[in-house]
Amino acid sequence: MIKLNNISKSFGRQQVLKDIDLTVEKGDVVVILGPSGSGKTTLLRCVNYLEKPSDGEMIIGDYHLNCKYASKKQIHLLRQKSAMVFQQYNLFKHKTAIENVMEGLLIVKKLSKEEAIVRSVALLEKVGLGNKLEAYPSQLSGGQQQRVGIARALAMEPEVILFDEPTSALDPELVGEVLSVIRKIAKEGITMIVVTHEMSFARDVANHIVFMDGGVIVEEGTPVELFNHPKEERTKQFLKRITPELNYNI
Amino acid sequence: MGEPFDFTYILTFIPKLLSTLQITLFIVAGSLLIGMIVGFLIALPRLYQIPIVQTISKVYISFFRGTPVLIQLFLFYYGLPELLKLAHLDVSKTPVLAFVILTYGLHTGAFMSELIRASVMAVDRGQVEAAYAVGMTGYQAFVRIIMPQALAIAIPVFSNLVIALLKDTSLAFTLGVMEMTGKSQTLGTLTQHFIESYIALALIYLVVSFALEKFLKWLENGLLQHEQQDTSVRSTRLTLRKNISYRRIVTEMSTGKGGVDL
Repeated sequence: MIKLNNISKSFGRQQVLKDIDLTVEKGDVVVILGPSGSGKTTLLRCVNYLEKPSDGEMIIGDYHLNCKYASKKQIHLLRQKSAMVFQQYNLFKHKTAIENVMEGLLIVKKLSKEEAIVRSVALLEKVGLGNKLEAYPSQLSGGQQQRVGIARALAMEPEVILFDEPTSALDPELVGEVLSVIRKIAKEGITMIVVTHEMSFARDVANHIVFMDGGVIVEEGTPVELFNHPKEERTKQFLKRITPELNYNI
Repeated sequence: MGEPFDFTYILTFIPKLLSTLQITLFIVAGSLLIGMIVGFLIALPRLYQIPIVQTISKVYISFFRGTPVLIQLFLFYYGLPELLKLAHLDVSKTPVLAFVILTYGLHTGAFMSELIRASVMAVDRGQVEAAYAVGMTGYQAFVRIIMPQALAIAIPVFSNLVIALLKDTSLAFTLGVMEMTGKSQTLGTLTQHFIESYIALALIYLVVSFALEKFLKWLENGLLQHEQQDTSVRSTRLTLRKNISYRRIVTEMSTGKGGVDL
């Protein structure tokens, strides 16, 4: 279970997150929606401490952290509870696909080389890249790179996987293959928080949707509640813009 | 100058000059070593933007990049002993070579620090974040992710630096060091065949530079393997073999389920 209490974040004087409270149960797939600049990516990065929250409290699994007084060591431990999939994939460019997945297993989890290989091969097969073990990122398409990124995140067996707009940098043709991999692992009961603009994905896969704007959570609920019966005016506006009504005349 | 041009002198000078090549190479190696250590120390405060120390680094770099190395040699050789005398340290017994290597080392350090800084900054920041996200510490991310890539980026500029340094060491003769250039001066004076001795000298520098360049290019290719888009025949074969070995390990360890049950 992940619990965020009163998470705040300011860049200089500008406050981008204002007292965010969020609870994610084990096995949940939470999708965060919102216009750009609403703080959704910042929130996601705060969970992995790539951004340092200015204030608040975080509970991931059995690990509890007070953000104001977090020490380097505590941050390091917290980071091991989560894994991240990035918009720009951020694969290690000097390592092959399998080495990318193995890296964390060898260095952070301290597995033996054989164990790491077995696990990495299995994971790359799961994301459909069993024949690309030895390819460098520069030899892979965007969709393939992102799937390696997902395998790398899965390898760490984290409490939660954070997806930061995983398909935004992809060709429209390649979006499908990445989404289907995410859908597949979601079905296996892995907890995830996804920031995305893919509405149909959010509708199908998520069991909880959070709508953010201006650094606060405006509304949250199940996909049906949020997409079909939004309560807040701001949410209605946003959804209207994203899914235009079919009101053309012939 | 003196005697008429005689081709055979070039051939007789080459082995004589080669006997001092080791001193030249010793200066190059010594200054590179000092240069790399100094360069690293100078680059760190700028990379991590530590106040005050950062400014000192900048001043250091400005001085060594902005003044001729010949002047630096004179300043260190004639000036440093005077300064140390004030601190009651007598360095008049220290060999000239030590001053030469120190000067070239500090000089190279300035360029090296800029090289290190540029290379480290050229590695995409996202990969560092990915390393943190996987759970690596800052040190692990630096050593395992940034360094190998920064090295590959740095090598072409580094090889320029080494070759420039090799040629710059010829100035050491002004302080009376018997390295290659000094030796060629002496040979010229003794035989009155200056042109021949300089031709021989130029040939040796050329060959050594060429060899260094080839060596560093080879190193670069090894480090930049991941940049190559199309794998050549040789590396494809290598890939296949490695792939098979990964598979074999998987089948041999069929008892361990690993990530399958995720």
